[in-house]
This record gives sequence, structure tokens and C-alpha cells, in this order.
Amino acid sequence: MQVVSRSSPFGGPTRTRVLLAIRLLGDSYARELARLLEVPLSGAQRALRSLERDGLIAGRAMGRTRLYRLDPRYFAHRELDRYLERLVEPERDLERRAAALRRRPRRAGKPL
Amino acid sequence: MRFNRRSRLATVAFGVAEALRRHGIQAVLSGGGCASFYTRGAYLSADLDFILSKPARRAVVDAAMASVGFSREGDRYVHSKVRFYVEFPRGPLAIGGDWQVRPARHRRAGAELLTLSPTDCCRDRLAAFYHWKDRQSLRVAVAVAARHRVRVGVIRHWSEQEGKTREFEEFVREVRKARATGKHRGRI
Repeated sequence: MQVVSRSSPFGGPTRTRVLLAIRLLGDSYARELARLLEVPLSGAQRALRSLERDGLIAGRAMGRTRLYRLDPRYFAHRELDRYLERLVEPERDLERRAAALRRRPRRAGKPL
Repeated sequence: MRFNRRSRLATVAFGVAEALRRHGIQAVLSGGGCASFYTRGAYLSADLDFILSKPARRAVVDAAMASVGFSREGDRYVHSKVRFYVEFPRGPLAIGGDWQVRPARHRRAGAELLTLSPTDCCRDRLAAFYHWKDRQSLRVAVAVAARHRVRVGVIRHWSEQEGKTREFEEFVREVRKARATGKHRGRI
């Protein structure tokens, strides 16, 4: 059995990985993060709420979806951004998964 | 202090700040509540965000808030007769990358209220305009600057640091327009 150990400097593995994923994607929402990180939706939602309470991320409503990104108004935003950039480097698997997400626009009605 | 349905935001803010002070807690009114305070309701926020100057135990905050009739519901404090609710967002008190923010002191009938200064209140609202393109926040920043003396050099310098020189120029244009057309005349 392979034992994988990851550092979680932001209080818990889900919180840390949610932050890393948002850093990679620019912005995201609970369901996308849950799929990407393979965690329960409730876990992703809980992590997002606590990160938002701490001021590290900010969310805003886009229709019925709440879209989150790193909060550019956070007093240590630049430093946090650089730190996450460094932390995400060894996360090849996460990068690969993020790269597999289709996020570019698709004209309405265009067949798959 | 007793509040009722007609209590204004400033009255509630002074009452809450005084209750916190009596329990040894220092807090600074920031965010939309602070903007509402400076625009005297021209912009009305329903939430009063107080940033604690030092960590405080939840039980002590609960007791302070209970002394003026507020009870905790999740992360916010509500009052059965007051339309405003109170929250304590995590600090530090900072505007963008600037965390060396000095609060302004206001006194009323023996009570003291700490808020962001008009300059910092403008910067706080402009941060939302700069980073979220939230034009309502621009309008509020303009309303604050049109009614109060603000340190334009400080706002300009900070805006440059945030890489938002063009947006700052738009803010200045709007303040000039507001002062020229409204009753709040002055220089910026």
C-alpha cells in the first residue's frame, strides 16, 4: 500500500487543497472543487466557508452558484499567492486534474 | 442602552462599541457599516462589521452583546428589534496590503466609537471597486469623499501600490463631479 503524506499548513488537508485548487484555477465553486479534489461536497463547502471567514478567499454569487477566489483585499494576498504558487509545484496530480477540466467558453447549442 | 425599531445605525454602533468597551474589548467599525456611518445613511448597510483589536473570548463577546440585547446566531449577532446585525470578521484591521491602519475616534453622549477614518473608509470601498469592479463601492467611496476631508495623497499612493492608477483617476473625477453638483463642495 502506498502511503501519501501531504503537508497541510492551512489547518487541514481539505482547506489546504481547496486553496491550492483555487490558486490553480483562479476561481472555482464548491461542486467543481469537490469533484476535482475527490472530497464530499459538504467537506468542500465547509472548507470554503472557513477560508472565507478567515479572509483568505472571497465568494460572490453568480446566478445560483457561489464563485470563490483568493481575496485580493486580504492584507497578505501577494505573499499568500506566492506561497501557494510554491506549494502547488509538487502537486503534479492536482495540476493534471485541473488541466483536464474544460473551463473555456462553449457556444450555446454547439454539439459535443 | 436600549434599541428599538427606529434606532439608527450610528446609535446602534455607539451602543455596541460602548458595551464591548465595558467588557474590556476594543473593536473598530469597518466595512459597509462604516461607510453608512460616514454617509449618514445615504448608503445603508444592514451589517455592522467590528474588527477586534485583540483576540477576545467568545463568551466575553457574547456577554457584551447580550448586555445590549443582541444574541448570537451562527457567526452574527442579531437583535429582535434592530434591523442591523453585528459581525466580527477576522482581523487584522487592514486595507489591501496596508495593515498599519489607525482608527478614528468619535464621541457621543459619553460613549466612544472607533471607526476607519474617512480616508481609510474610502480605500476600503475602493478596494472592492478595484478588485471586483463593484461600481456600487465606487459610488459609496465618492459619497464619503464628497462629505468628508480625505487624504487624497494617501489614497493615490495606495492605489498605485495596488496597480490601480486608472481606477483612482476615475474616483477623483467622480468626486469632483459630486462636489461640483452637490451641496458638498471642496477640493480634491
